[in-house]
Formats: sequence, C-alpha cells, structure tokens
Amino acid sequence: MSTKESERNSSAQQTLDILFEISQLLNTQLDKATLATCIGMVESGVNPEALAAVVQELRREGANAAQISGSTLPLR
Amino acid sequence: MSTSLDPLVHTFVPASRIDPSLKDDLVAHCHDILRSHIGHRTDSSFSQLADLAKRRLLQLSPSGASASTFTALASKLLDQPVLSKKQEAILFLYTLSSLNAHQQTSLPSSIPSHRQPVQAQTTTPQPQSAAMGEDRTRSNAARLQEFRAQRGTPLIDESALVRDTLYLMQGISGKYVRFASSEDDEKSLTFTSDPRFTINPPTRTLIHRLAELGYLYSRVETFVRERENMPGVGMIEQSLCHYLQTQLTEYYRLIAVLETQLASSNPNENNASSPNPAEATGLSLRRLDVWVNEWRLRMRMMSVCVEGARDTHGGALVNLIHSYTDNGDPFIRKFTDELLEEVSRPFFVTLHKWLFSGELYDPFEEFFVNADSSLGHVPYVHPSSLPGGINQLSSEGMFPGFGDSDDMTGSSQKLWETKYRFRKDMLPMFVGESFGKKIFSTGKSLNFIRYSCLDSDWVITREKMSNTGGTLQYGDIGGLERSIDAAYQLASQRLFEVFIDKFKLLDHLSALKSFLLLGHGDFADQLMETLGPSLSRPAQSLYRHNLTANLETAIRSSNAQKDPTDVLRRLDARMLEYSHGEIGWDVFTLEYKVDPPLDTVLDNGAMEKYLKLFRHLWQMKRIEKALDTGWLRVTGSARTFIQLPEYESEWHKIRVTLHEMIHFIRQLEAYCRVEVIECSWNSLLEFLNKKDGDLDALIEAHRTYLERTTKKILLVNPKPGKEEILLRQLSELFNLILQFREVTDTFYNYCLSESARRDQQMDNVRGVYTGAAKDSPSHDLPSGILERLQECGSGFSEKVQTMVQQLQVHPDLDCRFLGIRLSFSDYYRPKKDSSVKS
Repeated sequence: MSTKESERNSSAQQTLDILFEISQLLNTQLDKATLATCIGMVESGVNPEALAAVVQELRREGANAAQISGSTLPLR
Repeated sequence: MSTSLDPLVHTFVPASRIDPSLKDDLVAHCHDILRSHIGHRTDSSFSQLADLAKRRLLQLSPSGASASTFTALASKLLDQPVLSKKQEAILFLYTLSSLNAHQQTSLPSSIPSHRQPVQAQTTTPQPQSAAMGEDRTRSNAARLQEFRAQRGTPLIDESALVRDTLYLMQGISGKYVRFASSEDDEKSLTFTSDPRFTINPPTRTLIHRLAELGYLYSRVETFVRERENMPGVGMIEQSLCHYLQTQLTEYYRLIAVLETQLASSNPNENNASSPNPAEATGLSLRRLDVWVNEWRLRMRMMSVCVEGARDTHGGALVNLIHSYTDNGDPFIRKFTDELLEEVSRPFFVTLHKWLFSGELYDPFEEFFVNADSSLGHVPYVHPSSLPGGINQLSSEGMFPGFGDSDDMTGSSQKLWETKYRFRKDMLPMFVGESFGKKIFSTGKSLNFIRYSCLDSDWVITREKMSNTGGTLQYGDIGGLERSIDAAYQLASQRLFEVFIDKFKLLDHLSALKSFLLLGHGDFADQLMETLGPSLSRPAQSLYRHNLTANLETAIRSSNAQKDPTDVLRRLDARMLEYSHGEIGWDVFTLEYKVDPPLDTVLDNGAMEKYLKLFRHLWQMKRIEKALDTGWLRVTGSARTFIQLPEYESEWHKIRVTLHEMIHFIRQLEAYCRVEVIECSWNSLLEFLNKKDGDLDALIEAHRTYLERTTKKILLVNPKPGKEEILLRQLSELFNLILQFREVTDTFYNYCLSESARRDQQMDNVRGVYTGAAKDSPSHDLPSGILERLQECGSGFSEKVQTMVQQLQVHPDLDCRFLGIRLSFSDYYRPKKDSSVKS
C-alpha cells in the first residue's frame, strides 16, 4: 500500500516535472507551485482557456498593485 | 474551486494577503472569467493542439530545437498515468503562453476588461501610467495601429478580406474589393473607400496578387463559354476547351476546399480570446497566396493559350502550344505536355484517317492538308459513310470516260496537283517538315488510288489492316514516324504497281517514244511515203479522214501493227490550226491520247512537248527523205546525162553538196536517237524499275526525261535570249536543203529534157523517126540556176560551220559532242574558206 502510494507520488512528481518543463519551454512564467495548483484546477474540470485568462488577469492586477503601492515586492 | 483560487490570487497579487476585500474582489472577478465562455474549443484533438504549440514554440525560438523537445515531452506526458486531462493541461499552458505573447506585443486593452469599474475605484491613474510605461517599448507598427484606432478607421478584419479574395478568385466582386469593369474589358481592382475601414498597402498588394487569378480565370472562362456557343469551332479548339474546362473544374475544387477551410475557421471569429483568428485557424491572405501559387502559374499558361487561340487555328494552335513544351521548368513542361496530348487528339484522328485511308476528314480545316473543294470529289465524307460514298463516286467516275477529251485530259493532272494543298503553317512542329511532306504525299497517293484509279478495295483492305496496329498519339512520336514511313512506302509502292501494271504506263511511254518520237523507223517511213505527196499541198486542202486513213495504212504496213490495240487506238493524226499559205508539212501532227488517271503523268504540258518534238523530228525525217530521193536521182544522172558532158562538173558539185547534206542530217538524226532519246529513256526506265518514291517523283522523273530530250533535240542553249538560236539556224539549214533540192530538181528536169532533145536529134540524124522534131532548140538553161546551186551549196557549208562552232562551245556536253560528230574529220575547221568552196 505504501509502496503504491509512493509510486503514485513519484509518478505525479514526474508528471509535474514534465509539465513544468513544457511550461518553461512555452515561456509561461509559472513557478512549480502555481503550476501544480493550476493543473489541479484543470484536473477538477476548470475550463483551461478561462483559467489561463484568469492567471493573466491576476498577473496584471498584481503588477498594477505593485506599481501603485510602490512596493518593491517581486511579482511572484 | 474557490479554495484553489485563493493561493493563485495570493501568489500573483501579494497585496491581497493583507487586504481581504481586494482578495474577495479578485476571486469574484476570477469566478466571473471562469464562468464565461472563453475558448470553448469544439474540435481540437491532441495532435492538433500539439501542432499549435509547436508553431508557437517556433515563434519563440526559430531554431526548432525547442519544438522537438516539446514533442518528446508531450509523448512522455502521454505515457504518464496520473493526469486525466492532459490535453486540457497542455491547452492551458499553450493559451497562457500565447496570451503572454500578446501582452508583450500588443496593446493591453485587447482583452475587454470587466475589471474596469473596480480599477476605477481603486486605481484611477493606472491606465495613463501604464501607457506611459509601455510607450518606450512599443514598436512603430504598434504606434501606427494606435494612431489608426484614434482616427477611428480600424483595419478590416482579415477574414473578411479572405472571404472577399475567395470571391475575387472566381472573378466575382467582393464586399470590400471589387473589379472595376471599364469599357475595354481590362479589369482592375478597386477598393471600396468605406470611411469606416482601411486596408493597409501590404494587404492591398497581396489582394492584387491574388486577384490576378480571378482575372485570368474570368478570361479563360469567357473563352470557354464563347467557344461553346459559337458554331464552326474547330475540333482542336474544342478539345482545348475541354481541357480548359477540366482544369477549371479542378480550380473550382480548390476554391471549394478553401471555402470550407474558411468556414471552419469562422466560429472563432467572434471569439474574444483569439484576436487573430487567421493565425489560429489557417486561412490568411498569405497562406492563400502560397496555396494558389501553382494555380497562378497554371492559369497564366491557360490564359496564354487562350490568347493564342484567338487568332490561330487548327494545326497552328497545336504548334503554338508545342512551342511552350521546350521549357526548362518541369511544371510548365508537364502542363503543356498534358495539354498537347489532349489537344492533339483530334489532329491524330484526322492524321490516321488521312494516312491510312487517304480520306481527309477535316470539317474545320485544321489539318495541314487542305482540300480544294471546287475540284471534283466530295472532300468531306464522314468515315461511317465511306463505303457508300465510294461506290457512288466510282460509278460516277466510270461514265464520263472518253467523252470529252479536252476536259478529261486536264482534270486528272489538276486533281493530283491542286486537289490537296500542303499548308506549312498548320503543320505541327513535332511532326517535322519532311514527315509532313511524306504524310501529305501518302494520303494524296491513297486518295488518288482510291478515286482516280478506282482501286478503293485495296485502300479499304489496307485501312482495315492498319486499324489493328494501334492508334497514333502525341506521346509516341517514334511510333508515329515508323508508321508514317511504313504507310508511305506501301502507298507509293502500290501507286507504282497501279500505274505500271494496271494502267500500263510503261506501254504508253514506249508507244509515245516509238510513234511520236519516231522510234519505229519503218512506221515513220511508211507514213512519210503515204502522206508525203498530200502534205505538199496547201493545208486547207487536207482532210482529217484522209490523214487518219493514211495513218491506218502506215500502221498496217509496218511492224507497228503488232502493238497492242489499246495503244494503237489512241494514236491519231490531225492538223494543227493553220493560217493561209501554209502547206501540209507545217500543220500535220500525230497525236496520242491518254485518259485519266494516266494524264496525271502525261499531262497537257508533257503532251505539248511531245508534239513539239514530233514536229521537229518529223521535219528532220522529211529532209532526210527528200535528200534520199534526191540522191537516187543524182547518182543515176551520170549515166542518164551522158549526152550532156558540159554539165558533168556541175553534177559532180551537186553530188558533193548533196553528200554533205546527207552526212549532216544523218549525224543529226543519229545524235537525236542514240545520244538523246535512248539515253534519257534508259534513265527513266531505271527509275521505274526502282519503284521508289511517290507519284510526284514519277511525274518528276517523266518530266525530267522529257525536259532533257526536248532540250537536247532542240539544242536549247540555257543562256537567256539565246535559247532558240541554234534551232533557228537548224531550220534555216533545213530550208536551204529544201531549196537546194528544188533547184536540183529544176536542173535535173532541164537536163532530162535537154538530153531527150539531143537524143531525138541524133535519132533524126540516124534517120530514125522518134517523133516530131522540135527544131526550136527549146529553152536555154534557166538563167541563174547554176549560180543558185552554187549559192545553196556554199551557204549550207557556211551555216553548218557557224553552227558547229557554236555547238563546240555549247554548255551541254551532248550538244558539244554533236559538234564533234558533224565535223569529225575537222572538215568544218574555222578559217578554211578556200577548202570549203569546193
């Protein structure tokens, strides 16, 4: 049981790695954690294109907020 | 779902961690977006998606390395068991990536922002500063775009233009771009000046390029339409139209495919998330340009053909197309080859008909053989109606037969020479001129065998045999040449056989030689003997029936009676048209009648030459005969005139002169017979035995034979202006001889009566009464008779001398040889006046 669990984990890890690589290739500028979250959402049935729009929107929002507040915090 | 949104919001907007209201706002906004209907792709498979992603990757890094990496990763991902929605995951990444790209290059406002009111609440000066911030990095294109946006004239959506262009390619005006049809049929494009839209110059150029197709298309199509409705369009043109039509159908197919493509991309047009649908779905003006490129070339070729077809016709059209096959571009070569294969098909059908049955089936005058319809036989017989046509024609041809000789003698020759004409401009170049001539001659021969020689059975059999041998076509030029050669050989062989075996050409030729050229010596002698007395009478006292009766007698009493009756019945004697004062010798002529189809070879011109030769030879014969009889008298005179010793020397002189004349005429005759007629005849026989070449060659050979004979017998000098000079001298000589004969006769008669008188006197002296003594010493020697004799003799010698001199520098070798013959012992050497005066 535990071996199966770990196997599953490792394969999930592997999948995530692959997806991350693809994401980097495509220059999506997502970090691993966010990617995991997003993939999770897609898995749960969220419309992927809409999700992409959300991410985009949030990024812009974040940039705006950072500019307005003059904050030196990085975007991510 | 909201729970998983939170970390996202936290990650991207750090400020939301401390500001729950902002966070809630954002989360709500995100929910809005998620619930919207962005990007419900209907028909994307994984591979399609992968392709899109790869294209995107190529944009990012053109090297292609990342694309292959992506392929590897994608396949690895597919192997993973964990995810259930791999495709969606990739789609997410891809969309994000492409959105990113847009963010970088295009205006941020391209996504309609639902967030606007919220922004206004919280961050009022934001847009300006954002614009300011981005101003530095924007390209000129972007600025231009913005300028346009401010002017309120946005670019027309490309897909609309693509639709228009598709219309344009079919020659139909579109919504934004239309053809301006001015008077002179030249179409030009106009762009509707709709104030709401602009089309930028590059796009215009592109549309122009594409619209060329539409223009060409409409030209080709108009041509095809025109020809469809026009009566009397040649078969070659018809097949050209057919080919063009097939090509146009292909073109329609292409348009249909393109339209489907356009339709399938349409749903995305409304999609706000993909502002550049063409890129995503595959039909843009540029792509269109690439796809129709080959067609543009093809259309151009077709249009060129159409242009050419306007003023050329038939074989010339094939020629025109053939001239494009010599092209280095394999595409053009292939296209024209196909086209030619198609277009030349009717040509080859006609060729086959012509080559194997001698029938010209060419209702639109497209073949390079042209029939003169004003002459005789119906030129256009449809193949299916051939047998009936032949029977009818042959029965028609039978009856006129011998009826009207003048009419019939002309027709056959004319038929052969002018019924069909060779039109060089219509001859397809791939056939070649020598082969064209062969084809022409073959068909003509067959046609001639069929109609003029009434030997259609053979032709039909041949045609049937040849039908099994496959068809002629453009692709097989080698085979074509072989079959042309074979057909040519067969046809000409057959024509020879027909002429020699069936129509006994050789018999007729030799009959002409023996009768008209006086080859039968005994016959000529007999004729001369029976006719001689009556010919000295004035021409008007001669009657044709007498002449023919004499001719009959001559034939019967000579060896000529053994000749075939077919030959003899053609022989006829008649008089030429005479004027007052001419005697029988001037107008009498023999005639040999030929009927069709022999008169193809023995045409009117040839017969005239024969007659001319006959008259000359006949005159020669007459002189010879006259000299013969003269000689008979003169030789006997020595004994007869023993009573007249004072004239002994005169008689001697006469004998010498007479001998000279006889020598002259004998040499001349021998020359004509041996050197000229027989030699020419031999070469003609050689040609006939070879049986090579067609009827034209036969005619040519006979013509050469006759030409040569005439030239040499009449001693024609090829120098212009001097042709007849020797002939004139010859006839002067003949006249001189005749005069001399006359004078000699007078002298003879005088001598005869004188000697009779003396005999009587001596009888009286002896006391024998032999009649009433005529005391009156009769008339004296007619005055001047001796002088005239002298004159004739010396004049003759002088004339012969000048003639020999001229003969010795005659350009013709045989004539020069005659000169040598005449003066074999150097008798007529120049500057020998003393010795000539005998």
